[in-house]
Amino acid sequence: MPLAKFARITLFTALTVFVVTPLALLVLTSVARGWFHPALLPASLDASAWTDLLTDASHRLALRNSLVLGSATAIVATALALPLGRSAAYSTRAIRRTVALLAFTALALPPVALGTGLQLTVLSLGIGGTLGGVFLAHLVPALGYLTLLFLGVFTRWDHRLDEVAATLGASRAERWQRVLLPLLRRPIAESLALGFLVSWAQVALTLLVGGGAVRTLPLDVLAMLQAGQDQRAAAGALALAIPALLVIGAARVGARNTAAVVA
Amino acid sequence: MSAALELHALDVVFGTRTGVRDINVDVQAGDCLAVLGASGVGKSSLLRTIAGLQAAGGGRVVVNGTNVTMEPPERRGIVYLHQEPVLFPHLTVLDNVAFPLQVRGAPSSRSATTAAAWLERLQVDELAGRMPSSLSGGQRHRVALARALCADPAVLLLDEPLASLDPAVRRDVRMALQVARTTSHAAMLLVTHDLDDALAIATHVMTLLPTGHSEPMAPQALLRSPPTLESARLLGVYAEVEGVVLGDGSSAAFHWLGGAVPAAGAQPGPAIACVRSHEVHVHCGARIHGPELIVLDRHEATHDVVLTVRRAGGETAVVRVGAGVTAAPGDVIQVCILHGRFFAPG
Repeated sequence: MPLAKFARITLFTALTVFVVTPLALLVLTSVARGWFHPALLPASLDASAWTDLLTDASHRLALRNSLVLGSATAIVATALALPLGRSAAYSTRAIRRTVALLAFTALALPPVALGTGLQLTVLSLGIGGTLGGVFLAHLVPALGYLTLLFLGVFTRWDHRLDEVAATLGASRAERWQRVLLPLLRRPIAESLALGFLVSWAQVALTLLVGGGAVRTLPLDVLAMLQAGQDQRAAAGALALAIPALLVIGAARVGARNTAAVVA
Repeated sequence: MSAALELHALDVVFGTRTGVRDINVDVQAGDCLAVLGASGVGKSSLLRTIAGLQAAGGGRVVVNGTNVTMEPPERRGIVYLHQEPVLFPHLTVLDNVAFPLQVRGAPSSRSATTAAAWLERLQVDELAGRMPSSLSGGQRHRVALARALCADPAVLLLDEPLASLDPAVRRDVRMALQVARTTSHAAMLLVTHDLDDALAIATHVMTLLPTGHSEPMAPQALLRSPPTLESARLLGVYAEVEGVVLGDGSSAAFHWLGGAVPAAGAQPGPAIACVRSHEVHVHCGARIHGPELIVLDRHEATHDVVLTVRRAGGETAVVRVGAGVTAAPGDVIQVCILHGRFFAPG
């Protein structure tokens, strides 16, 4: 077998093992009762961890908070990042670079450093330890990601489409409705998905700005893991993974019939 | 009756500076004015300014008697066609063409009927259900033109629509533009650097130079009498022959190394004669009265031949002669200029 082909197969296998194995172990652990080293398989299977996750009031609150935060972050960050990215893309190079730098800074800063700064800001606004405060904190990295996304989209956008629509008699609102938004369906779907996932996976910012008063699913999973509740932690971790996979799938379906418009 | 498009003292801006200044032009409905200009002179900027896609440095744009200088593009009644046709990629060909009617709130059945009629006029009705990504270059041009005409504009601006097209597509699009001119009531403004395009489509032609623009003229009139040496150079169909005008008034004559040419009305002094190939007679061998010239170089052009000649005294000149002239380097010829346009050297 040629070396290149061998290397390709090895890398592909390694990638599959690294992604699939932890997920498979999570699935098994979430339904495993009495599974201790060195047993190869669990002694018995039950769904008690899943039942707890769905019926326990505190877990349901955490799940609801995560969903609310994820949805709000996705929608608001997309609504802000789209016009921001567009205006930056049509601005001078200096403005474009400054916007990109600021957006990248929001991503590049260590979450603890960013969270500490945000905590002070949120506290001064009087919304420390609230869902609103955590939402603002989640908005910062989400806005960074999505601004970069839309900056890229509009840098390659064929701005003549807007000009053509205008000279054909379309008002600004009609241009958005009939040209821009239909063509932006794919980036918007990706933006909503990415915005949701950025918030959905947040731990450090939620912990620092929420101060433990705002429970989310990732924090619950972390607490269960620290308490040695492996079965429940595995169920929680899978619950964290499932919406992420669904969001990715939905974004792909939404994008299927939409071509990116680039110059 | 006022013209469909009037430009009054219009200044065109390039970035932060004013480019072409003081443009004064009228275009009547149904007419097509070709603006001939070299690359970079500001032809596209002129169109963008008229369309409202960029601000004017000064002056007014008037459409059907209404000053639209401060109006946004959608309220000017002016449609701008880019050099590369820009179709909405998410709409079918029919929906693209119906777009201007739909944004005006026309019922969808009427929009579709009108759009289909324009597609038929431009002979692309079989493409109605196709997406733009599946069209060829020529088809895209025709669809974009159908869409522009479907908007029933008072003014249609065409930004070098034939540039960078291969000859077959160029003929196809040129025919479509001729159909557009004859079937639409729009005043058309075509910018181009190609004289052939202007001759094929336009009713009037003007030249646009950094120093200003010429008066619009009928294409043949412009060819007969370009107003300035720069305009003549822009047309690209003349050979320039250096000489001197002696005498004045009706007795003035242009003297060059090949002989003398009547130049009634030309200003006395050093001059450049702009001469087309069919205005030159070449005689091989000493058969007519006049100086003998030696052919130094022969260069085949698209429609004619360019000869570099030298007189015994050592002076050289370049003349553009008919494609049938067989003179080759080393031949002795006599060149007789029958007619020319005479300008003081720039």
